[in-house]
Amino acid sequence: MAAFEYRQAQEIRDALQRHGVRYLFIGKSGAILLGFPDTTQDADLFVDKSPTNGRALVTALRDLGFAITTEQAGDIERGRDFVQLKDGPFDLDLVFAPDGIERFADAWARRVDVEGFPVCHPDDIIASKVAANRVKDRESLPRLQAFRDYWKAKQATRDRD
Amino acid sequence: MEPVTGDSTQRAWIEEFEAAARRSLETRFRYAFIHTYKPVLDDVPYRAFDSMAEYRDWCEAHLPSWLGYGRV
Repeated sequence: MAAFEYRQAQEIRDALQRHGVRYLFIGKSGAILLGFPDTTQDADLFVDKSPTNGRALVTALRDLGFAITTEQAGDIERGRDFVQLKDGPFDLDLVFAPDGIERFADAWARRVDVEGFPVCHPDDIIASKVAANRVKDRESLPRLQAFRDYWKAKQATRDRD
Repeated sequence: MEPVTGDSTQRAWIEEFEAAARRSLETRFRYAFIHTYKPVLDDVPYRAFDSMAEYRDWCEAHLPSWLGYGRV
């Protein structure tokens, strides 16, 4: 498995948009889209949990080359809280109920658009990492929080200008 | 080399953020996404969990602690 590429991110964006999937990039992949300079291995998508959205996502993933079985499609359509795909063109984690975020609609209302990529607000990315409370997140949180403050200051300057 | 702590760490981070902001999204992607084999985690093509708590429990029970997926 090669590293996730920009071209593949564009393919996700375009396929999911084509099928009307409601989702947000979350986790470190989301932070990287916002400009956070760090490394990660896979993309994490926070997906709105509904049968219609799940069905649209399955169709989009098949378009992208993921060999989704009937059973796996059922998991995604049902919105099992966490689905990990590791045999497609790239690794993809589907998160239907991330720690630290109450409702998809709230995160959607706060989303940031980065060149057409829908991305969780940095506050939501941090909230999910704080709530997950994993060793690897704890180690990266101070730098991510510093990035959030930097990002907000830049946004404020941009809005003012 | 002088240890980087406190304010100097913050300054170093800001410099990194500024440098990243000057790069295109495509370049940022090229620098950010890497792939290394993660034992156990990468050994099956598919997993699904009914709750995040169930996933976290599975990580703690099955993944090597050095991967960092365990809870603090």
